[in-house]
Amino acid sequence: MWYSKLVLIPVALSVMLTLGAPELSAQARIISLTATSASGLSVLVTSGAIQALPAVTDNAVNNFPSPVVIQTTWSVKPGQTNTVNLIAYFAVPAQAMVGPTTQIPSSRILGRMTTGLPVAFTPMTQNGFGAFGTAGGTLRLYTVNITGSNKNATRTDNLDLRLNLVGFPALQAGSYTGVLNVRAVTQ
Amino acid sequence: MHALLKNTLVGTAALLIASSTAVAQVGLTSNVATVSLTATKNATLTVTPNASTATLGSITDNSNVNLFTPVSLTTAWNLTAGSSVSLVGWFATPAQALANGTDLIPSSKVEGRINSAGYAPFTSGPFSGLGVAGGSLQFFAQSVGAGSYLGSRTDQLDLRLNLVGTTTVAGDYTGTLNLQAIVQ
Repeated sequence: MWYSKLVLIPVALSVMLTLGAPELSAQARIISLTATSASGLSVLVTSGAIQALPAVTDNAVNNFPSPVVIQTTWSVKPGQTNTVNLIAYFAVPAQAMVGPTTQIPSSRILGRMTTGLPVAFTPMTQNGFGAFGTAGGTLRLYTVNITGSNKNATRTDNLDLRLNLVGFPALQAGSYTGVLNVRAVTQ
Repeated sequence: MHALLKNTLVGTAALLIASSTAVAQVGLTSNVATVSLTATKNATLTVTPNASTATLGSITDNSNVNLFTPVSLTTAWNLTAGSSVSLVGWFATPAQALANGTDLIPSSKVEGRINSAGYAPFTSGPFSGLGVAGGSLQFFAQSVGAGSYLGSRTDQLDLRLNLVGTTTVAGDYTGTLNLQAIVQ
């Protein structure tokens, strides 16, 4: 009999607790969590950033001795980015390379990227790509379609350069210098 | 009702934010990497005759009318510095400008001119290190400057033997005239 009391006590407490609990429930609150990974796009010239032709020959094709090795890295969203594009351009196409008295225009500087679009040497005379590059002084090097599988990627390409002086007036002796800009753009 | 309206507004705002993010990503650009290009055109200076041989078919003793066939000389320069281009001709051994075995004609008996100027013997020099003493002749010294560092000129070189007072032994007399340009 004594044990029946022990059993009944917790039962009674349980009933009391149940009866005493208020019928309240808090309104559900939804907290949206957003973590944004910023898109990234970068270009790095890993070698060949300084190109030198030690002895230019007039009225001939002059190949720069080593390729420009370009590494492009991107992290983009496939639904918001269709393509990644690489362009090369001169700021002032008429004066791609400046010498003592003569300027060499970008039409005389040819680029080739066998892993890209200009698989044969092509003069840098294209118009800008979107708002980037310069009219008549640009060369699009490649276009990559972005899908889920390559939304985060790195690629490395070789850009070969040459100076085509065939039919160009003889250059006065001296140094001709210029800067080729390389930039990646998404669309 | 109020909560419904609030949720609707919140949802719409979220969509707008997402939409604007998508637009911003199109046209994403990288840094600009640069490639430095340098092409060097070396300075040059050349003399090119249109013929490697000048001949005199028949020598007349005691005369200066011993004319070799004329030679056209083109001197071309492409410079980065300097104030003049000179052309010099010389015989390596003035006492033996032309030789027929042991019979010799010295450079003093050989005269030259360009473009119908007056003849002069090869008895000068050297000029700025070019030529040999007593066996050289400077044909021209042309001024050059920043506006004329790339240029050329073509001249007719006339050569003759001045044998006035000289009698030669019959035979073929041969020699070599050296031509060289210099920038100063």
